Amino acid sequence: MPDPRLGLVLALADDELVLGHRHSEWTGWAPYLEEDLAFSSIGQDEIGHARLLYELAERLAGKDADALALGREPGEYRHAILCERPNGEWGYTIARQYLYDTADDVRLASLEGSSFAELAAAVRTIRLEEKYHLEHAGQWFERLANGPVEARQRFAHGLEGAIGEALAVFEEVPDEKALVADGVLPRSNEDLLGEWLGRLGADLDRVSLDWVLTSHTGADGEMVPTSSGEIEAGPTLTVPGVERRDGRWVHVGEFAGQGGRRGRHTEDFAALWEEMTGLYRALPGATW
Amino acid sequence: MRTETDTLEGRVRRALDGVHDPEIPACSITDLGMVERVEVTGHAVEVDLLPTFVGCPAKDLIGEDVRVALRSAAEGHDVRVRFVHDPPWTTDRITDRGRERLRDVGIAPHWDRPDGGPIAISLLSTSSPVPCPFCGAEDTVMESRWGPTPCRTQHFCRACRNPFEGFKEK
Repeated sequence: MPDPRLGLVLALADDELVLGHRHSEWTGWAPYLEEDLAFSSIGQDEIGHARLLYELAERLAGKDADALALGREPGEYRHAILCERPNGEWGYTIARQYLYDTADDVRLASLEGSSFAELAAAVRTIRLEEKYHLEHAGQWFERLANGPVEARQRFAHGLEGAIGEALAVFEEVPDEKALVADGVLPRSNEDLLGEWLGRLGADLDRVSLDWVLTSHTGADGEMVPTSSGEIEAGPTLTVPGVERRDGRWVHVGEFAGQGGRRGRHTEDFAALWEEMTGLYRALPGATW
Repeated sequence: MRTETDTLEGRVRRALDGVHDPEIPACSITDLGMVERVEVTGHAVEVDLLPTFVGCPAKDLIGEDVRVALRSAAEGHDVRVRFVHDPPWTTDRITDRGRERLRDVGIAPHWDRPDGGPIAISLLSTSSPVPCPFCGAEDTVMESRWGPTPCRTQHFCRACRNPFEGFKEK
């Protein structure tokens, strides 16, 4: 019986590793030098955070951190599908960074109070760096939302494409009930989602972009069976149930793009996984 | 009377002070406040280090340099070096000598902020209270929160018209 904390730590680590990998793809290609540096640095931070979390998971998994990061089959990764999507254009990249980092902030703030002391300590260290990611996302949010018509439209389109899958950052992790009962998770994901939606809704209301919460386009990638073989093929993307009640945005239904926490991923991840783990698979244990 | 430098712990600490961050060669890891714990017992020397940033790419290299330095300073002892993250490293750990050495190579050490949060900057250059490490003027702008390494920012001094770097506040 695996330690129930492993699923949680892997979900956190895999989110950071996979999105960090996507951020690193801007190296050399961002619209200008400062953004090239920004995404390269944020990516480096996220991958560093992933490494710290994998080192924490070593003991729970009985595998070393490299094997956890790079030696698993695609169906064994536990990240949210949001993190594996290609960067697309700038509007989507910024929308995703904003949605992910604000969601991550809500989650990490809560985990500082985890009864799993090593995780709480790791999270405190990580948050000292995440504040700069939040700052970056916040500045771009203002710049694009209040920018010229085309910038605002492209940002809104990016939000529409990402928002459903961003909700699924708060998809239940395996053994969540036990983790909440033990205080490893001080609050349930559904509870954290409520807080995040409140903050997100307020931000979007302020710049009159709240309509993206109900008119989102969903993602275009099809769900595919992963190598674990447990998952059946077929599109499962559904409209996230988000409603405005008493002036507040609340979650009322299914998640879009759920399944990441159970190892269910899209074909976008297959390509990323091939590249990310290529060297490790070709030369296990290589050092340089 | 034996002075500290005669003892094994003294030799170990001097050896640690001889290891430099390859990305900031002006500073030793002691200057940067990266040495969290040194324990010398009969057979072993144990050192805990704190990385400045969790994802610092120089971490493994620094760890290896420390091992090599300690093996020679504490010959015959079992050398154990590890990176820990608790307590978190913060810019407050940089020593006065470290701050001096950073300024010498054009990197402003951290600065005090009134509110404890990151300094507010707009996307474009704006005034920031970081004094220029070259001329001391406060008429400087932060040009980018992101620099050549995860722990550094980029600035420009309007007084002496030099670009300079800053240590990212943590």
